[in-house]
Amino acid sequence: MHYIKPVLLTVFLLAMLALLAFGPRGTGGLPKEVQAGVDQGKITVVTYWEKWTGKEGEQMGEIVKDFNATVGKEKGIFIKYLSISEIDKKTLIATAAGVPPDIAGVWDTQVSQFSALNALEPLDDIAAEYGIKPGYYKGVYWKGCTYEGTLYALISTPATVALHYNKRLFNEVGLDPDKPPRTIRELDDYAAKLDVVQRDARGNITRIDRTGYLPLEPGWFIQHTGYWFGGSLYDEKSHQMTMTSPPMVAAFEWIRSYTERLGPKSVMDFKSGIGNNFDSPQNPFLTGTVAMVQQGTWMANYIEKLKPSMNRWNVPGTQAEQNAAREDLLRRLNERATQLAAVKVERAAAGTTDARRAELAAKEEELRREAWVLRKQFRDMCEWAAAPFPSVGKPESPYEPAIDTPTHAGFDVLTIPRGCKNKRQAFEFIAYVNRQEVMEKLCSLHCKNSPLTKVSEEFLLTHPNAYIEVFDKMAESKNAFGIPPIPIWTEVSDEVGILAANTYQMIGPPPREALAIAEKRLQRKVDRFFDRQAIRDREEAAAAAKGK
Amino acid sequence: MATTTTKTAPAGMTERAKEWQQVGRGLAFLSPWLLGFCLLTLLPVGLSFYYSLCDYPPLKKPVFVGLDNYRQLLWEQDVTGSRGDPIFWKSVYVTFKYAVLALPGGLFVSLGLAMLLNVRVPGQAVYRTIIFIPTLVPTIASAMLWMWLFNAKLGLINTLLARIGLEGPGWLTSPTWLVPALAIMTIWGVGNTVIIYLAGLQDVPKELYEAAEIDGAGVWRRLWHVTLPMLTPVIFFNLIMGIIGTLQVFDAPMIMTNGNGGTDRAGYFYTLYLYDNAFRYEKMGYASAMAWILLLIILALTGLAFWSSKKWVHYQGK
Amino acid sequence: MSVAETEKPSVGVVGYRPEPEAGQRVRRRWHPELWMATAGLLLVCAGFILPFVWMASTSLKTLEKTGEFPPRFIPDPVQWTNYYSPDKEHPDLGVLTHSKMHFGLYARNTLIIAVLAVIGNTLSSALAAYGFAKVKFRGRGVLFGVMLSSMMIPFPVLMVSLFTIFRWMGDHGMGQWLGTSKPLWAPAWFGSAFNIFLLRQFFLTIPDELGEAAKIDGCNEWGIFWRIVLPLARPALTVVALFTFMWAWKDFLGPLVYLQHEDQYTLSLGLQTFQSSHGGTDWNLLMAAALLVLSPVIVLFFLAQKTFIQGIATTGMKG
Repeated sequence: MHYIKPVLLTVFLLAMLALLAFGPRGTGGLPKEVQAGVDQGKITVVTYWEKWTGKEGEQMGEIVKDFNATVGKEKGIFIKYLSISEIDKKTLIATAAGVPPDIAGVWDTQVSQFSALNALEPLDDIAAEYGIKPGYYKGVYWKGCTYEGTLYALISTPATVALHYNKRLFNEVGLDPDKPPRTIRELDDYAAKLDVVQRDARGNITRIDRTGYLPLEPGWFIQHTGYWFGGSLYDEKSHQMTMTSPPMVAAFEWIRSYTERLGPKSVMDFKSGIGNNFDSPQNPFLTGTVAMVQQGTWMANYIEKLKPSMNRWNVPGTQAEQNAAREDLLRRLNERATQLAAVKVERAAAGTTDARRAELAAKEEELRREAWVLRKQFRDMCEWAAAPFPSVGKPESPYEPAIDTPTHAGFDVLTIPRGCKNKRQAFEFIAYVNRQEVMEKLCSLHCKNSPLTKVSEEFLLTHPNAYIEVFDKMAESKNAFGIPPIPIWTEVSDEVGILAANTYQMIGPPPREALAIAEKRLQRKVDRFFDRQAIRDREEAAAAAKGK
Repeated sequence: MATTTTKTAPAGMTERAKEWQQVGRGLAFLSPWLLGFCLLTLLPVGLSFYYSLCDYPPLKKPVFVGLDNYRQLLWEQDVTGSRGDPIFWKSVYVTFKYAVLALPGGLFVSLGLAMLLNVRVPGQAVYRTIIFIPTLVPTIASAMLWMWLFNAKLGLINTLLARIGLEGPGWLTSPTWLVPALAIMTIWGVGNTVIIYLAGLQDVPKELYEAAEIDGAGVWRRLWHVTLPMLTPVIFFNLIMGIIGTLQVFDAPMIMTNGNGGTDRAGYFYTLYLYDNAFRYEKMGYASAMAWILLLIILALTGLAFWSSKKWVHYQGK
Repeated sequence: MSVAETEKPSVGVVGYRPEPEAGQRVRRRWHPELWMATAGLLLVCAGFILPFVWMASTSLKTLEKTGEFPPRFIPDPVQWTNYYSPDKEHPDLGVLTHSKMHFGLYARNTLIIAVLAVIGNTLSSALAAYGFAKVKFRGRGVLFGVMLSSMMIPFPVLMVSLFTIFRWMGDHGMGQWLGTSKPLWAPAWFGSAFNIFLLRQFFLTIPDELGEAAKIDGCNEWGIFWRIVLPLARPALTVVALFTFMWAWKDFLGPLVYLQHEDQYTLSLGLQTFQSSHGGTDWNLLMAAALLVLSPVIVLFFLAQKTFIQGIATTGMKG
């Protein structure tokens, strides 16, 4: 017994020594050829820090590799890619200390903040050189990348938000899965029908077993609810918060109505039963505990990973057989899509003889029909479906949408911090990512829609999200909205989010009052920001003038 | 022999000179620390004080605004008529609510555990290691772990409570139970304090116990009259460290509430709000002001502890 | 060595246990207090180790089963490949074979930083602690108070300034600091307040007479420190070393901010590989990785445990 400790200690120390002496070493530097090129002044190194980790980080890493091997090699640019979570903290500190990366991958929520502080390089001119002008992106995405008219960022991947609903549960209660709710009132009706509750002797609800819809499940976009009602949080021209407009109040009262209908205690019990289970097989949408949720394009990814049976609905056989059937379908679909693309290319390059063109046209039509039939089969395998999230109804007829397809369009961006010394080379990479083929590849891998106005058919046919056309269409909508361009957006978002949650839980003053208080508070903060920024602008101008 | 006692002071050196020589010697030993302290601590701390008097979004240069940040935090009138930043006051409340639970809880639990671990039971080393392991678990893993454990419907804790017929509360989603949940999680990580107590227990002179036994004192009397008084220096050390640690707690609430402090900001600790201001709201100046207010609070409490220590801490003479 | 002595209740509920006499093997007698203590310990340790067991159990589960309800301790099926996946097609299924988390590389990086930090911190903290404990000079108390106060400022507000200082050093010819691991271990060579405080307490219990005697024999202050105090302090130094090692092993913020290349990552950064913003986190792999990261320190503690507790023992915290 007495020998164990010393022996263990020696073994331990030896292992550590071995690791130190013989363990794997990293280079920590650039590959040799690149280093040589840098020393000769022929290669510029561009640092790119991206907040994605895991699979997404890897996928972008592939794209970086492709760039380095093609355009990068040609033009003497090497992208040094770093992917790690919490990169925005690292970027902030490094930028504050004066050593920002050349390309920073940040969130849409930060575009206004950073732009308002003059911390980003404007990109209008250089983007135009590469053919990236207004119209290249869908409207809402282009707007989101600008601040007060200037372009400050370009997108890496976007997303839109839709209503996801469970077709099986619709069938169960007699609702038509091909007719999702289009207005808020309809949503309420559907939700009531889908609820499964326990009541006591007096008819009050004591427990919720299943709910059709609850605004805070998951409630990720709860701050934007007002937009689906036709309201908005902020008027950019006047820099005023517009939180107390009738649509905003209506929106928050709607949030509260669910708790009022179902009873605060039962709603809270239901919520704590679910907890923070988004990223697990216990996700309430996946378990069928919540029939309809407001989620984004990535939901398909989570479903496939955590509850694949939801993507193999009505497919007969064992699990292995189901997988085989689905893979077979996808294979055939991909084949058709590739063939379709090939025929299109051929047709474009073909001569002008009518016969040949007609023949190719006919072939194209046939392939297209087959592909879309297969695509529909792919969609039918899904127990879930996506549709535009309902908007508020017209006052005179609440079952008719007052606004056509509003949706929240968020995105991840690539920006160039101000003062970057390698702006042109950095932008070369950003432009590369924004090429249609590259963008579509990345978006498909990340299960997101494409921000470009031009979307290839192949993208829609081979996308892993069975309902991608829905998301794509929504992004084109006139009424799509992004993050409001408030320079203190994170503070506003936090405040409104808490307000929404409190309204939902019936804590604190009623919506109208709570909104009024929050509006005053936030307006004061906005004003203060602009005042300070004016001082800063003046000082910077004075310093610049002196420098001259 | 007088001339060979010291190699240093030549005979005839004045008192003053000797004092300065001592200072020199002392500083010589302190020099590595002092150098690092000035460069890597004093400078940033000084800068942070300057920042607290500025409007400083980290991406731009600071702009001097005097006491404006402090005014906003403490006495500027809010729309509802209350004074100061309501979120700030909420975070102070939450942090103190937690400290009141976690500090005494932690001290007592660790003391009790240390006493238990001092008994020469078989496998003592194993027990000690088990108590210590939680302090080693990487924060990310431990937070995920506890989120599961506390899950109201599916978590282990409520499942076990259900077995004995109790209905567990909502824990992380309940405004009243969030802070207690965090306190429990902290108590799980109490290993460091236990180790220090264990050491202190070894140091109690055996003769005192023997004397007490001879006088016929039983187990509890020995505890009260011998162990605890001898332990007061250790208790005091852990109290100071505890004050500093509890008021600055960050990792656990950050991960458990995803940084937003949970329902109605029920778990929005002081350091969470500080962090948000510094890194998410781009208000480093405001955050620095918060940091200095915290420093003053901790100094005040520590000072109080030091002053009270004269009354209840017994140091063994050297 | 009368029979009566070995029968004396040796329970230490109040911390008293008689040392075994030289040459005598202690026979443990199971007194009621001993039973109570064991029962208490078992209960408490069960509670303490539960989360840890949960971690271990999750680390061996398949992804679908990680969130299952009712929660189960024994995974079914047991997926050892979470740790090591020899499958060439899917090496990512195992933490040790993962393409993105290079366990060996990160472990080595972390080890280097930790060892350097431990050596530097122990030495410099000992030096400073000696200065605060044994060299009586004017202003010592004030300086000590200032040192303690430095622990009271929350770190986020210091980060930007620290970072700028390292950058400034790089710009002014003191070597490149950013983008290397230097900022992670070099500051340790200037001591840390916690360790200085701890060691100072220990040094205070070493009788001054020893120092005086040495002086008579012609030793100077440094000699006293190096040849008398330090050897006596060996156990306390072990404590400081262990705490520093632990801290360096677990540190996340430092590596995040200062490292700029994946080859330099430490284990704490590597754990982030298993998180994903839009793809779902691999809980089972994360727990497996966390267990692997944590095990060396557990072993270290288990081995060092006796020295260490005895070590602080003689510290006595006696002010």
